[in-house]
Amino acid sequence: MENNRRKHILMKKEFYEMLYILNPVQDDDKFKELVDFVNNQIEKNGGEIVDVDEWGTKPLAYDIDKKSSGYYVNVYFNAPHSTIEPVERNMRINDDIMRYLTLKYDAKMKRHYELKKKGDLPVIFDDEENAETEDDN
Amino acid sequence: MINNPSHPKKGHLKSKECKFTQAGIEYIDYKDTDTLTRFVNDQGKILPRRVTGNSAKHQRQFSTAVKRARFMALIPYVTENLR
Repeated sequence: MENNRRKHILMKKEFYEMLYILNPVQDDDKFKELVDFVNNQIEKNGGEIVDVDEWGTKPLAYDIDKKSSGYYVNVYFNAPHSTIEPVERNMRINDDIMRYLTLKYDAKMKRHYELKKKGDLPVIFDDEENAETEDDN
Repeated sequence: MINNPSHPKKGHLKSKECKFTQAGIEYIDYKDTDTLTRFVNDQGKILPRRVTGNSAKHQRQFSTAVKRARFMALIPYVTENLR
């Protein structure tokens, strides 16, 4: 029974997000290939992709490996925790993936994600116009 | 000084409230660089709570978000100040 419970915990799926940066110095086909490579890795290790958001090539805030821009890809997926290690190992080995960051979502982050998808995130700076009028007075 | 209405510095004091609490934010996203840069000075340093008026809870979340964004090269670790 103990074993069963262990197994259950191991198989429990969590919601993850991962952002990674690809080497920008290559063809569009290669980008696609790499994105597929990562997605395959996730699926092969028991995960399921929810959403892939490609931001495209963006300038970096500082140089990484002497490159000043990078191709950003943002993936959302459900997976048991055992998925992450092999996926990250393969990404580390691949020289064209410059950086990656994986986050496990908790309840608050999930709610934030749902709101973001619906497009009604709370606005933090809606008081800009008011502030200007106050200055005039 | 706060309670004294005739204090000369009274006019300069703004009642500060945490912008995140006001908006009802539950999680500060590190990918949202527009928000992050509002609470960072021009060198890229995190502004203290006494300046921004953030609540302790949100300041902690915010600093993690900034550090994640820096790692992913979304915002700089340091900006050189050109004079």
